[in-house]
Amino acid sequence: MDLSPTLNAPCLAPDLYPEVCEPLEEVGAARPADAAAALAFALSRLAQNESGDDPRPWVMATTPVWLRERGRPFARGLAGMGAAPERLIWIRAAKEIEALWALEEALKSGAVAGGLVTAEQPAFVMTRRLDFAARAGGARGVVLRAGPALDLSAARMRWRIAAGPSAPAQFDEAAPGPARLVAELVRRRSGPPGIWELEQDDETGGFRVVPGLADHGLAETRPDRRKTAAV
Amino acid sequence: MTLHALNAAARAAGLYRGQSHADACAILPALVSAPAEPERDLVMLKRLALWAERFSPSVAVDARVAGHEGLLLDMTGGAHLFGGEAALLAEVRARLAAAGVPARLAIADTPAAAWALARFTASEDVIAPEGKTREAIAGLPVEGLRLEPEALVLLKRFGLKRIGDLYGLPRASLARRFRGPEGLRVVERLDQALGVLGEALTPERPPPAYRVWSPFAEPLMDMAGVDFHLPRLARALSAQLVQAGQGARRLSLIGYRVDGRTTAIEAGLSAPSASAEHLVRLLRQKGLEHLDLGFGIDAMMLSVGKAEGVEVRQNTLSPPFAGRGQGEGASRRILPLRKDHVTRTDPSPCPLPTAWGEGSADLATLIDRLQAKLGEGAVLRPQARESWVPERGETWAPAGPEAPEAGFDLGRDRPILLLERPEEVNIPVTELPDGAPRQFTWRRVQHQVVRAEGPERLNAEWWRADPHASKPARTRDYYRLEDDQGRRYWLFREGLYAREDADRAPSWWMHGVFA
Repeated sequence: MDLSPTLNAPCLAPDLYPEVCEPLEEVGAARPADAAAALAFALSRLAQNESGDDPRPWVMATTPVWLRERGRPFARGLAGMGAAPERLIWIRAAKEIEALWALEEALKSGAVAGGLVTAEQPAFVMTRRLDFAARAGGARGVVLRAGPALDLSAARMRWRIAAGPSAPAQFDEAAPGPARLVAELVRRRSGPPGIWELEQDDETGGFRVVPGLADHGLAETRPDRRKTAAV
Repeated sequence: MTLHALNAAARAAGLYRGQSHADACAILPALVSAPAEPERDLVMLKRLALWAERFSPSVAVDARVAGHEGLLLDMTGGAHLFGGEAALLAEVRARLAAAGVPARLAIADTPAAAWALARFTASEDVIAPEGKTREAIAGLPVEGLRLEPEALVLLKRFGLKRIGDLYGLPRASLARRFRGPEGLRVVERLDQALGVLGEALTPERPPPAYRVWSPFAEPLMDMAGVDFHLPRLARALSAQLVQAGQGARRLSLIGYRVDGRTTAIEAGLSAPSASAEHLVRLLRQKGLEHLDLGFGIDAMMLSVGKAEGVEVRQNTLSPPFAGRGQGEGASRRILPLRKDHVTRTDPSPCPLPTAWGEGSADLATLIDRLQAKLGEGAVLRPQARESWVPERGETWAPAGPEAPEAGFDLGRDRPILLLERPEEVNIPVTELPDGAPRQFTWRRVQHQVVRAEGPERLNAEWWRADPHASKPARTRDYYRLEDDQGRRYWLFREGLYAREDADRAPSWWMHGVFA
């Protein structure tokens, strides 16, 4: 069964992309090698509707297996993603159940803006607990799964992420350009699922939808910026 | 083989320490002996010293004179807590007897006098009245002065057998008679015993800054009892801390077992706290089940090993605050007098900026709880370092509630995931010997490179060359590569062709993965 979304799949209109992050979302990598793309997407979801000067930190709880397979968070790279590494608290849990517990405690405490946890197979009860904790603490949580998941989960949105060929670089055709990925919304509690192609924004480092056909994304945002400059 | 230690029955039969084992067997054929284990004796004594902290925060193990090991407790100003000195001695004796430890006890004004009285009097419990030390130890043998054997021999030769014999002698001639270091020691030891010269105790553990303790009439046998009494102790400790304007940074809960041992759990705090609820929650998180109650504990102590000044901040400006008096856990409340708050005429609660102290205390609590459960090395925050070598450019330090300063330059060309250690990559084809690879094999999967950028050359930091390494560190050329699947990788080639370290071929390594 090939679960990875393909680039040829029709992209929905960009305005249907859910900008508002649910209290708990689930992000799975389409293939194990897409873990970095999934992490980047999860970070951009956490940062999505955050007010600009929220001083609260965010947490990332990892398991040893995940670290060994995929590497540890790299602060300078996170800074490039627009996720402030000064606000990161990294929890190196010894077991998955401890990582899930740590995220639940963090979300519940109200002291963190959001958090993500790497988990292989979180039980439904655990995801439900995380959902409640995130609501109670006014935080947003993301469960980062290693593989595509179709089992039961309390997450309101479930994503499947695949890395895609990057956009052309501005000055060097042979170099990789801004990162692109294909995000498929597999399950959604309130609304239709969909599939979008996202591109890393040069300014913020976060991801935004590539509107319509690829390579025409910049024209859509430019007039906006000029307008704000005129005001 | 000589005798190392004896029990009362053996002593009554006329045996003494240092006697040869053969002689002793001749005198007492029924002698039961076992090999001496001085190291284990010392370990037991130290364990007993921790237990004795229930009587005094400052307990020293005294093992200077072989054969006369013991404990010294600084009871200054503490005996009345146990109902006076006689009651104290009775309680110590009863508790030691319950734990199966025979003991000789003495209380005196000076450690040296107490030492002599405990060892060289006929009766078992001795209390030298305050200010009467001189008379109390006058009748004791000169061995009670903790002298070197040479000095003892010399004193005996002069016929000076009792400590009192030394009182009348002129100090100058006494010092002169006993030339050499042992002569000075006689005067010094006498002065110490009489309190003319001070003597400092070196406690086994530094006395805790704050402590509360609670004895129980009946020993607690199960965790439920400990759990029940813990909040009361924490509240008492919190009251002490609040009064002093301090917060705990290191906390220990010690149980005193009936068999003369202690059992303890410790917890660290990332920020000083005086909140009783927080301290209790922290210890419960740490796991009360780690306390080994044995046959039960008859006292419990909660002590603060390390305290720091705490600044109590007001988090919200809520109406109950105005009516509340000095609440628990708040020693100083700082009212924010901001101009816009004072001049505001609208009586509705004014919104405070979110950054104002909010969450900082919550965060410290959260970090403490996580650290208590997962270990202190498990909750980390990044710190930037001045180094361009990627794995040395940042360190992860145990988290505190204060955010580290922002020192990370924006790394658009840095991966978000860095492998814990670089993994070797097999590169069959590169465009040029010095160029980017066309394909590579990592973790047994072959990747076709579609796009590449680089090299970014990072030189080895020659100023921190490892003296033990056989070869010097080599230059790294980093490449950003994108394969035909659209995944982006960070590879580097270690070593330059033909220019660096000619006998080692350059090797390729995978170091990170981009989004």
